[in-house]
Amino acid sequence: MDLRMSDSLFRRFVRQAHVPSESVEQLCSPCSARLKAGMCLIQRCRPKGRRCKTAPNLHRHSGSLVASLLTLTVVATLLALPAKSLRAGTTGPAPQDEKPPAGNSQNGKKLFTSYGCFECHGNHAEGTSVGGPRLGPNPIPFPAFSKYIRQPTGQMPPFTIKVTSDADLADIYAFLQSLPQPPKADTIPALK
Amino acid sequence: MSERCVQSMIKVFESVGLIDEAKHVAEVVQFVRAYKFITAGDLYAKGNYQDLQRYPEVDLAIAADVETTLPSLTEAVKRLITDDRKRVYQDRGAKLGDARQRSLERARTEATYGWDSSPITIARLSAELWMQIKNEDWSLVSDVQFASRWPMRLWSFDKHYQFIGGAGGAGEGYASPASAGAALANKKHGRLSVSINGDGDMMYAPGILWTMAHHHIPLLKVMQNNRAYHQEYMHVQRMANRHERGITRADIGTTLKDPNIDFAKVAQGMGVYAEGPISDPKDLGPALKRAIEVVKRGEPALLDTITEPR
Repeated sequence: MDLRMSDSLFRRFVRQAHVPSESVEQLCSPCSARLKAGMCLIQRCRPKGRRCKTAPNLHRHSGSLVASLLTLTVVATLLALPAKSLRAGTTGPAPQDEKPPAGNSQNGKKLFTSYGCFECHGNHAEGTSVGGPRLGPNPIPFPAFSKYIRQPTGQMPPFTIKVTSDADLADIYAFLQSLPQPPKADTIPALK
Repeated sequence: MSERCVQSMIKVFESVGLIDEAKHVAEVVQFVRAYKFITAGDLYAKGNYQDLQRYPEVDLAIAADVETTLPSLTEAVKRLITDDRKRVYQDRGAKLGDARQRSLERARTEATYGWDSSPITIARLSAELWMQIKNEDWSLVSDVQFASRWPMRLWSFDKHYQFIGGAGGAGEGYASPASAGAALANKKHGRLSVSINGDGDMMYAPGILWTMAHHHIPLLKVMQNNRAYHQEYMHVQRMANRHERGITRADIGTTLKDPNIDFAKVAQGMGVYAEGPISDPKDLGPALKRAIEVVKRGEPALLDTITEPR
């Protein structure tokens, strides 16, 4: 599977993974290239005990940093799939532009609980820094969403077709789309 | 220093990336042999048994206490700082300050997701608690790991006693009694001690509530009640899914429901002021105010808040 990613998509997944772009820009070119290719630079670097010379602190394996970079790698892999299709895409619309299957958001909300998605991502899909990332509102494109749930990486458990039907996935996706936009932080006294 | 110890030190340097190239090893060996190693760690032992009976080979072991030693050590180090180094530190401080501000802005934006929802998000719980304590001489006497580190992301920590840290060995059931001990230590200083306490953690040693009431330990316990031994709940689900078993039985032995535990009643029954369950985030701020008034009078208080898992 070709997991290479264009620069624009790379920037996009950095934004979606909520990793400060300045941290990524500090990487040396070999590490940056590996990250863009969807590879885990942590696993490469750790056995040799070496550090990226231009960003040594990125290789100290602190908990939050490892989590950030693993998330980055996961999302890189995730978003690389539509990227491949976009490059190859001479037939049919690009998957990112495909309309997701119609789903029932109310049922999706129930499934989000019964399948245990809430355990790591929160009941409102807001995500956590020690569990799963935020999933909504504005979820990632459905093909990538579906692909990742079936064949995830990292700590995310796989939800195969044997466990979760395509119809259920569509309902869960509809629930994620239906989540309200949050208020602005500067309108909340407790966050000022 | 023995050859074995020199080799151990080199491994340590390698593991933290201080030796980039093999050609530097000889220099490091020379460095290690030339210097004396002094430790003040022999009296330091946490609740984590991994620390016990592990004495590194050193040239001089000093029986020292950190709280006593650190102020004079800090002053001694300050005297040795040259003007050049001072400028370097100031530049570094400015960069870190900018990074901290950017991080805070991101955290504030992230905290808005699910802000008005029930169960209460840990972000909102942390922000509301911060609103009530930020102008006090406060001390957070619980870990932040299972609270998604929200206090670390949203609060401003600038004193050494403002954070107790974790168990040191992923210990379950540590937070409830440890926070009471820390609050007891804070009492003579007049500090406002607060903790975010998991329900699973509280189930290990709930008798601490009676101890707090009996000894008049001023501590606010805000329950992070997710109705589960949640770390285990997530783990069982992960394992079940990897074996394609579904997760319909992942809650057996991992959740605390049917019946739900009323921690306010448990606390009241042991003589502690308590309110709850609180599931509407709008009720949180006023309840925190009332509970903090109780703690300021020198008594313990507990709020049973129904929260998101993490």
